[in-house]
Amino acid sequence: MKTILRVARLSKSFGGISALQDIDMEAREGQIVGIIGPNGAGKTTLFNCLSSLYHPSAGQIFFGDRPIAPEFSSKKKKLVAACALVFLFLSLLWTPIFWSLFVPGALFKVETVMLGLLLLGVRFFTFRGLRRFEIWAWGLIFLFLAADICLALFLGGRPLSQDRFLGTSLPLGWVGTPWALAALPFSLFFGLQLCTAPARRLFGFKIGPDAVTRLGMARTFQNIRLFFHLSVLDNVKIGAHCTMRSGIWRSLFRTRRQRAEEQGAEQEALNLLRFVGLEQRALVLADALAYGEQRRLEIARALASRPRLLLLDEPAAGMNPQESADLIRLIRRIREKGVTVLIIEHDMKVMMNLADIIYVLDYGRMIAQGTPEQIRTDPKVIEAYLGGGVHAPA
Amino acid sequence: MGPLHELLDQSSLFLQQLVNGITLGGVYALIAVGYTMVYGVIQLINFAHGEIYMLGAFLAYTMVTVLHLPFFVAFILTILLCSCFGILLDFIAYRPLRQAPRLAALITAIGMSIFLQNLALMIWGSQIKSFPRELLPAVFSRPALVLGEITVSWLQIFILTITVLFMAILHFIIHRTQVGTAMRAISHDKVTSALMGIGVNRVISFTFAVGSAMGGMAGILVGLYYNAIFPTMGYIAGIKAFAAAVLGGIGNVPGAMLGGGVLGIAEVLGAGYISSEYRDGISYAVMIAVILFKPSGLIGKPTGDKV
Amino acid sequence: MSRRTRPALPPGLIMPLIFLLALLLPWIPLGPSSNYVLRVLTTAVLYMILALGLNIVPGFTGLLDLGYVGFYGIGAYTSGLLAIHYDLSFWWILPLAALNGALWGILLGAPTLRLTGDYFAIVTFGFSELVVLVIRNELWLTRGPMGLPGISPPSLLGHTLTKDWEFFYLVLFLLAVVLFVVTRLEDSRLGRAWFAIRGDEIAAQCCGINLIRYKVTAFAISASIGAMGGAFYAKWFKFIHPDMFKFWESILILCLIVFGGMGSIRGTMLGALVLIPLTEILRAVLPQELFSARYLIYGLTLVLMMRWRPAGLIPFERAQEALARRAEARIRSRRGGEQGP
Repeated sequence: MKTILRVARLSKSFGGISALQDIDMEAREGQIVGIIGPNGAGKTTLFNCLSSLYHPSAGQIFFGDRPIAPEFSSKKKKLVAACALVFLFLSLLWTPIFWSLFVPGALFKVETVMLGLLLLGVRFFTFRGLRRFEIWAWGLIFLFLAADICLALFLGGRPLSQDRFLGTSLPLGWVGTPWALAALPFSLFFGLQLCTAPARRLFGFKIGPDAVTRLGMARTFQNIRLFFHLSVLDNVKIGAHCTMRSGIWRSLFRTRRQRAEEQGAEQEALNLLRFVGLEQRALVLADALAYGEQRRLEIARALASRPRLLLLDEPAAGMNPQESADLIRLIRRIREKGVTVLIIEHDMKVMMNLADIIYVLDYGRMIAQGTPEQIRTDPKVIEAYLGGGVHAPA
Repeated sequence: MGPLHELLDQSSLFLQQLVNGITLGGVYALIAVGYTMVYGVIQLINFAHGEIYMLGAFLAYTMVTVLHLPFFVAFILTILLCSCFGILLDFIAYRPLRQAPRLAALITAIGMSIFLQNLALMIWGSQIKSFPRELLPAVFSRPALVLGEITVSWLQIFILTITVLFMAILHFIIHRTQVGTAMRAISHDKVTSALMGIGVNRVISFTFAVGSAMGGMAGILVGLYYNAIFPTMGYIAGIKAFAAAVLGGIGNVPGAMLGGGVLGIAEVLGAGYISSEYRDGISYAVMIAVILFKPSGLIGKPTGDKV
Repeated sequence: MSRRTRPALPPGLIMPLIFLLALLLPWIPLGPSSNYVLRVLTTAVLYMILALGLNIVPGFTGLLDLGYVGFYGIGAYTSGLLAIHYDLSFWWILPLAALNGALWGILLGAPTLRLTGDYFAIVTFGFSELVVLVIRNELWLTRGPMGLPGISPPSLLGHTLTKDWEFFYLVLFLLAVVLFVVTRLEDSRLGRAWFAIRGDEIAAQCCGINLIRYKVTAFAISASIGAMGGAFYAKWFKFIHPDMFKFWESILILCLIVFGGMGSIRGTMLGALVLIPLTEILRAVLPQELFSARYLIYGLTLVLMMRWRPAGLIPFERAQEALARRAEARIRSRRGGEQGP
């Protein structure tokens, strides 16, 4: 069995309070993996890190072989990243300086400063948009460099404008100096911001939750997060968002491809609703569903994105024994479809019945792992759940 | 450095502008406090706050000209009325929407702002009014300090003193009194605060009262300073004060002070040296830039969403 | 859905029928005031277009956009300047204005749509104020407070439109185009993504929706519809002035959609159809100095609606139920097709 999810030394802290510390875990394809632990053990935080809603403070997450939250381990990579940052920083700050080489006094001219600010803005947002430092980021930097040179050459040959500022009677140089002085902190600030934002991405870069879902990891939420004002069917179709392609134009003109895609998605959504037993309720608003039905709808919505890994956050919370038994059957059927399931659950009976392997969290640390039998008899687990009396009962 | 010399030659003008800017900043800070406190406690941008500022100016004007009250009596009465008005505003418009989505409360706030502004337009008309000089204390129009070409009027000193004094009082209230503690608790978690026995609605009313008092006071001061009172004054000043609040870090009282000062100076200097046509534009630009690049403001703390 | 009674007419027929009725309107004899009525109706339809455009952002995506009038102004000035300086035909101006609106929408939206709702509202407000300031102060381009007079009326196949009914038909045509765009997008992958964002941003992200991308798309489409409205307005009124694009207009349009029902296309149109003629009635009834305070009523409408009927006349949920009914019909017909032959 191939490993589908690997978490290595994952830590997450919120302003000094560490919610997760050095978590190592692994899920193999086709397994049902359980995560248990008392309240406040960091289970949901772990899920949020996995689905990229939180960005881990340290550690790595690999989904298949794709990193979701890596940490640059080798020193060489760190060095490269640091060099890139310095270069990025320079390429931002140097525009006015560079121009002043070509245009005497350009540093103090209103036009250069304004243009410089504009270009800074453009660069700033371009770089902010970068998900990580890729080869085309270097390309962009060189593009900007070329633009600087061209602009400087272009401006160097001719007077910048009449010597008055924007139609006022103020002499230009007069206005230019304060402007340049005012621009300096701005560019410094942009530069610093730029340096910190990509730095975060370089040394532990960001993948948005949407990208994680597109990679094939879907989740449900502990406190149900459905689109309550939409119909059940639409909820599932939104779940299928990343399996569809049509954009504005195709939707506007209802091309054949778009219609076929919509039809396919609708059919698949109906199939999924049948799978979780909600077919009869497909056309009511999600608001009108009963609690247990809403939980199942969340599962259907998550499945609609055709995930390889499904994260279920306390799916049996608030269910009666009959409903939990149904849920167990449903999760088994999901596994039979070839989806790996990672599940957080308080209900020990559900967990012992269902999971192939269980990880136990307590106070943000992994205190035990193993098969249900091993966990049942592990003294550390028993202590965490029953002993101590330090923390509130689960 | 030719340009710099020219700039230094104009230094007295520059310093005069600076003094004017600081005065203006003080007024912005007074208004900004109202935004900041309300936002800090119930996370609502109280758009109607600018209108309370406008009402403050109009009420004082009416008291002085129609009722012929002495200025300082009118001043205090107006502040009291404004704080009552703030409580009323909260009671009528915002309290029923405490549990509603934030969009609803925001739209209500905008609606209230429009409503009050047009109400003032109907009552007082659209003409620009000014305090008659002879009914004011004579000392206001006299210069207090003359240094070369720079003059600082008693009015400016009065404005600055009041600003600093009330900021200090406010800081004391928030950090040293029980109500202040309750306010800070509510800003963290309304439900838990209620469970701890804090009368949430009472404290929110208090917040509105204090913020509105400051806003009304700012209205009178600006009415005196610019000698112009008109129904739409609250709309522009309100937005500028909001910009100041954001600049300092919304939800943060010293931040409002700092933001007000910086914005006031930037505006006066910008109007003097860059372009007086874009005077208002400078505040908007500063606000947009701050919101975009540092939404937590100069001395605010960043906040995160809960999942 | 079975609880609700089905409308007697198939839903696809209602809109064309209303349009047909609207086309007959100019020919109802109303004596001397018929031109006035037509002008009021043209205004109402123009505001329907604007409201439909604005509706995309607060209604579909759930973000409060207070700067809509900025795009309206951009569209109007694009149209006016192109008409005056280049003498372009209206049919070129319209897409160009829409494009310009979309461009500014993207420029403003791309950085600001990361912000939380309140800050977004404030930034869009600042934007619209800046647009007015620029229009007012850049005399070389816009003639500032002198306004832009002498915009040539649009023409069609060599015939210059001058009569009120011609403009009414033109604005109806524009409404049809906008309605086509909006209804098609509402019932598509894009529309569902917007509704998801309105419902719950975090859940939407976890469904694989890239928030920024879809928000910017919504903002750009909304902006281009606003700009189209502005382009028509300039060509219709033949004179534009910076004061026409003040913040109040944004509030008025917002009021229309809040009143009609944010997120519901029919509600939005209904809101414009009720409130705009009401304004005209007020203009006729109230004395001049009180009429300038008409925004009092809009403010009050906003407050009262939020208090007593926050979902508006036709709530978002009704619109979603209508979509579900459409889906039901689709599924049923597909099943029928499978089993039939």
